[in-house]
Amino acid sequence: MVRPYVVTDGRAYPTRNTFDLVTLVMAHPDRPLTGLSPEKRRVMELCLGGALSVAEVCGYLELPVSVTKVLLGDLVDSGHISARAPIPPAELPEVQLLQEVLDGLRARL
Amino acid sequence: MTDHISEAVSWCLAAALLVVLVLLIRQRQITAGVRRRNATLEESLRARDEEVRHLVDVRLPSIADALSQPGPLPGLRDEKLAGTAFAQSLHAVMEQFTRAVDKAQSRADASAKAALKASMRAVQGLANEQQVSISEMQERHDNPDVLRDLLEIDHANAQFGRRAQAIAVLCGSWPGRQRLASSLTDVVRGAKSRIRDYQRVQVHALIDVAVVSRVVEPAVLAVAELLDNAARHSQPNTSVEVSLQPVHNGACIVIDDAGVGMDGLEVQRAAGLLSGQRAVDVVRLGDPPQFGFAVVGLLAGRYGFSVSVDTRSPYGGVRAVLFLPTELLTHVDPDARPGTAGQDPEGAEPLHTLPSRRTRPPRRAPHAPTVPAQAQEPSPIPRRAPAQSPIPHQAQAPAAHQAQSPAAHQAQAPHQAQPPAPAPAAPAPEPAPAPAPQLSPDGEGTRVYGTTAGGLPKRRRREAAATPPSGDWTTGAGQTGAADPDTGAFRARSAKETASRMGAFARGTRSGRSATQDSAAHHDEGNRQA
Repeated sequence: MVRPYVVTDGRAYPTRNTFDLVTLVMAHPDRPLTGLSPEKRRVMELCLGGALSVAEVCGYLELPVSVTKVLLGDLVDSGHISARAPIPPAELPEVQLLQEVLDGLRARL
Repeated sequence: MTDHISEAVSWCLAAALLVVLVLLIRQRQITAGVRRRNATLEESLRARDEEVRHLVDVRLPSIADALSQPGPLPGLRDEKLAGTAFAQSLHAVMEQFTRAVDKAQSRADASAKAALKASMRAVQGLANEQQVSISEMQERHDNPDVLRDLLEIDHANAQFGRRAQAIAVLCGSWPGRQRLASSLTDVVRGAKSRIRDYQRVQVHALIDVAVVSRVVEPAVLAVAELLDNAARHSQPNTSVEVSLQPVHNGACIVIDDAGVGMDGLEVQRAAGLLSGQRAVDVVRLGDPPQFGFAVVGLLAGRYGFSVSVDTRSPYGGVRAVLFLPTELLTHVDPDARPGTAGQDPEGAEPLHTLPSRRTRPPRRAPHAPTVPAQAQEPSPIPRRAPAQSPIPHQAQAPAAHQAQSPAAHQAQAPHQAQPPAPAPAAPAPEPAPAPAPQLSPDGEGTRVYGTTAGGLPKRRRREAAATPPSGDWTTGAGQTGAADPDTGAFRARSAKETASRMGAFARGTRSGRSATQDSAAHHDEGNRQA
């Protein structure tokens, strides 16, 4: 019933471009909820229990991802939430690279 | 002798003269009377002529005009004719003419309404279809440039849909959508979505009151028309203030604009339209047609709320007040609504447990990625039994499931983790075995599966779980079908699910009947086992 342009107040661009689907957002419980739109309140309620990925926030809000990103950008700006990139999987150097290093060391020694 | 004769002659003459005189006088009197009468008759004839001309020139056209602006009809021009047979005949002519005009008017109105209604229905359907497509596109595209364009199209489409809807309602059709009971704030914001200058509308005071589902769409449409009026009749740099106020026997939506306001005549006309008592004439809404108040009045009369615009706003414009009586209000429990699983006590602790999507179909399953942090939790904390879950059988099933599946085995594939099916003796109308998909509705490939000696979690790739085709709807049955008695909110049940249920029911009935007929043909209760 409430269309996305009313939710974002007509904006389509998030104030920051740091969100992707797996970015985790966490709410700061000490921030007041007054003056927040119902959707932003809902984001706060969702995230107060722990971190939630952007994709999940979209799912719960039933809003498109790009619209949710605008809301999340606002909330980060106002200090209500903070975003964190997901913990990357451990990156192992490639075998070939290791082999080259080994070869190089052997040649040197 | 001659004297006598002459005397007699003179007497005779005198008498004759007298007679002639008398006759002359009488004749004169008669002539005068006839002349007078003649004059009167002439006068009367002229009066009737004038009266007929008056009828044609003034009185009959006034009947035709009176349909748009009711007022006293002009009477006889010459009061002397009142009560005569002539006046009665004129009256009969007037009445017949009035009837004929009424009939023609109502016929024209009905055909105009029917034509408009049919075409607006088609337009409305297209607008709704387009809205669905736009929503899908908004879901699909992640690019802000695309989103900006889509938002513009969406906005135009919403206004377009509202216009079509308003005209259709004015022509006697229904608002065309049934919605779940929604909060008053959402009603106002839904209305805000449908007007051009939505950014100027400021909504204050979020109160915790909802509108019953029957009235949601009409209220949205009425508020949208009022907001549109307010925004259209005020400067583009002013704002339209909306406040929601709980009152003793209902709630009010107060819309203030800082516009030009309305003068006494306009207020009177608006009050007439808003009362909802008068039938609205589609062909007489002015040029350009002004639908706003007519639609609002019609909806108010039909659904039992009331609207007034006769107060002046403190900002100088008009203050429109839409009053919803208590019987149109309710309280909506956010937990009880499908698609809003976030109020669920578990919804907000995704790092400790898997995100629960029980009350929500996994619409975004392809989007929802694995949150890597989940796999690094040492051991999944046993899921809290959702005792506050609004649906009783849903609350029981996870508890039962938890009792028989300890934490270490929680990560099994859904078909393994299902608790035993309900005892066959119990013919449960809703065979809701367990919301097993709560463990893996998102299709993540990995699960915590025991721990290593060092306390690190072991992961095992889940084997392709061939979920039985019936699993979808059986598990879904736990979530759907329950209606909130207050709000009338039915949980969504997909067409496929419904079809498969009906199919199962039909198959069961058929097999039951055939079994009965085969084994006990003499039983006359054919549906004993059904």
